[in-house]
Amino acid sequence: MANLFKSIKHIINKKNIPTNQKDHQSSLVKREYSKDQTEDWEKELTKSKDYQKSYYFNQKSGKKFTLTYFSTLVEEKVMDNNAVPPLLEGEFYTIADVKKLLPIADVELSNSSNDIPEMLMKGFVMLTLEGEKEFAFISSPKQVVRSVSAPEIEFSVVGPKEAFVEAIDQNINMIRKRLPIKELIAEQFIVGKLSLTKVCVLYIKGITNKEIINTVKQRISDLEKDEIADSSYFTQIISDNGNSPFPQLLDTERPDRVTSSLAEGKVIILVDGSPHALIGPTSLTEFFNSFEDYFLNWILATFIRLIRLFSVIFSIMVTPLYVAVVTYHYQMIPKDLLITLVTSRRVVPFPPILEVLFLEVTIELLREAGARLPTKVGQTIGIVGGIVLGTASVEAGLTSNVLLILIALAALASFTTPVYQMSNTIRILRFPFLIMAEIWGLVGITIAFCFLLTHLLRLTSLGFPFMEPVFPLRVKDFKDALFRLPFKSQAKRPQFLRTKDSTRFSKEKANKKKDIDE
Amino acid sequence: MNKEGRGVMIQGPVQERLQISPFMAAYVIISMQIGIGVLGFQRIIAKDAGTDAWISVIGAGLTIHIIVWIMYKICETVNGDVLDANVYLFGKIIGNSINTLFIFYYTVTCAAVLGGLFEIIRTWMFQSLSSFWFAAVYLLLGIYIVYGGFRTVAGISFFGLVIPFYLLFSFGFALQYGDFTNLLPLFDHSFIQLVKSGYHMSLSYLGYGILLFFYPFIKKPEQSKKFVHIGLLATTFIYAALAVITFAYFPLGLLEKSIWATLEMWKIVRLPILERFEYLGIANWALILLPNIALSLWVASRVTKRIFHISQKKSVIFIALACLIIVVLISTRERLNVLFDYTALVGFALAYVYTPLLYFSLLIKKKVKAK
Repeated sequence: MANLFKSIKHIINKKNIPTNQKDHQSSLVKREYSKDQTEDWEKELTKSKDYQKSYYFNQKSGKKFTLTYFSTLVEEKVMDNNAVPPLLEGEFYTIADVKKLLPIADVELSNSSNDIPEMLMKGFVMLTLEGEKEFAFISSPKQVVRSVSAPEIEFSVVGPKEAFVEAIDQNINMIRKRLPIKELIAEQFIVGKLSLTKVCVLYIKGITNKEIINTVKQRISDLEKDEIADSSYFTQIISDNGNSPFPQLLDTERPDRVTSSLAEGKVIILVDGSPHALIGPTSLTEFFNSFEDYFLNWILATFIRLIRLFSVIFSIMVTPLYVAVVTYHYQMIPKDLLITLVTSRRVVPFPPILEVLFLEVTIELLREAGARLPTKVGQTIGIVGGIVLGTASVEAGLTSNVLLILIALAALASFTTPVYQMSNTIRILRFPFLIMAEIWGLVGITIAFCFLLTHLLRLTSLGFPFMEPVFPLRVKDFKDALFRLPFKSQAKRPQFLRTKDSTRFSKEKANKKKDIDE
Repeated sequence: MNKEGRGVMIQGPVQERLQISPFMAAYVIISMQIGIGVLGFQRIIAKDAGTDAWISVIGAGLTIHIIVWIMYKICETVNGDVLDANVYLFGKIIGNSINTLFIFYYTVTCAAVLGGLFEIIRTWMFQSLSSFWFAAVYLLLGIYIVYGGFRTVAGISFFGLVIPFYLLFSFGFALQYGDFTNLLPLFDHSFIQLVKSGYHMSLSYLGYGILLFFYPFIKKPEQSKKFVHIGLLATTFIYAALAVITFAYFPLGLLEKSIWATLEMWKIVRLPILERFEYLGIANWALILLPNIALSLWVASRVTKRIFHISQKKSVIFIALACLIIVVLISTRERLNVLFDYTALVGFALAYVYTPLLYFSLLIKKKVKAK
């Protein structure tokens, strides 16, 4: 039967239909259907290669009908196997009969020609019948979806190995499978004049604070942008302070992380075409939490979190401290250590700041080159840059090897940040510190730190303070911030989210204690 | 007192999202109390009462509780801050004239604190530090904080206490070398000497007057009382402990010559990767003093806004500029001392004379009105 369909299609193809100029203004009501007539919308569409219009006869009733669609947007196999045979062989006289005849569930009837281009773009096939004003849209969209793969950015050794893909329906499917409750709401918005991107706001009704939901919805509907390529556009456009280097919405590629955030009472934003979900409101500490922390025992997880906190501070502070101490406060270094330092710096002809900037920029270059090149070449760059350049610059007397160790450690420490967006921020943070250290030494570092602190204090995520739980101080929320306490102590949802239902599970049942030998 | 009707006289109540939680009020007050004074109060109090001065430290600390109690009463009576109280008591014109004085007081306080910090950094770390540039950057930081609103100011107060908290442990090193027999004989000084010493100490304690201005920003002021009083006790304890350690560490003769006794105690600290601990301490002091600057700027600009109806964004810039000019002008230690003495005197008068007087006048006015 598919062959039959194909052959008919070849015999009567659309593109050689002469256009009739007069009919352009003719209203829909007056118009008698004829294959010589075209409309405004059609004139433009016919220019496209993938626009198809085919003519058929129903074998029983002898009615003429046409099928119009975009071949790139429609699953032609479905059409050939399920739609065309009944239309050719079955008996139908009116457009309403078509609905009963077809085995496809999603068939819509319409008589407004304004809908046509939009529906065709969504992957519908338009069916028009001779002598009928109404027409039917048959749904048969083509799904080009990458298969679900393992998370690459937020990799975890233990735990689930699936990550979001670019199709929003697939992503919602992954979330719904993990939260099969009717309270999980996914509200859809269409954003972007050109891209008409589907954006979904997900939350659990009865848990999430209404204020958060309204803020998110308001910001999405106020959004002005013609084209949305990725969810990261959203992070930049709808976040509270667009001029901050700090991301104020957490992005993740893990459905499990999204699910647990939903359960906490947060809002998720999914953008069609983006394999990253956005989580909000969030706080600074959350950017240093990996989802793997929950798969490990709480003692290990807490230890790792503290290591990460230390490494962030170390990564930002160590080179500015080196500049400050070597330039101004060498008295602060104990005698024995000073000898080591002086020996290693003896042949270096530059002031500390130049020495540090030289190496920091080299590291940034390596990172950027590594990120831009294909994986295999990137590895080579890492080796060439790391080993050859480092050793050579020390041997050439351009830098001291103490500094080389510090820079390498700082670079290593900056990689421990689990969220990529935040690790980028940390990369640039040290430069203002370096400049202030060069100007005023330790005092300069303190002032730079105060600026950073103030900036963080002023930041909000969807209207909620970014520094929470440290400021405003909420001791109870520390259970899952800098530390991760055992699950039985996580019976309450985070206070700062002001959830409608603050209890996750009964604490009494979870904490039941038994006496010895019971 | 109903919470909603606060500050009705000059402007509407403060929105809840701009308010701070009750216990945060304690941090704001302590952070304002701890300033330059900590670094060198020991010499001044020892002048009169010698090693018995720690009694004065505790005594002066306890008097503050009464003053703070009165301050709460004032704010509760008028359901607002001290500006409301003045306008309520003296009418708009005279009341606001008195309020204008607060702008000057807090502008000068800000400049004095900044001048003090600059003096310490120049003496101990950078002889060539430019007062103009340093003050300009620091005030810019202050403006940035004030622009974030009172919550940001309170946040800085919080971090300005919590982050440098580790410095307290460093005095353990001085404790090792301390000789507590220095403190003997106890109670060797007359009551008058102790009072004189207590007067000097009370100047170091100043700063709690800020409560009169930020009272409307406390979420449940009633609950904040206990935290504030605990906070005041903590300050008293820190000062007293520091005084005792200092008296044990320094012989009295040496203490007379130590302008910055606290800083000198840090010289004994020796860690495997760090010497000259006082450098770290001074750098930290730039953070500890930040709440003083930010709060002073905030109060001065807020009072300006309330009286002259200029936006706070503009007024804080004017006030910072005024501070900058003062700091550049007081480039010498002598002028700075004069400034310190005068601001301390005014501060003392405000706390111990003006505040009780204001409260009693308010009580009388209320009674008269009731009749």
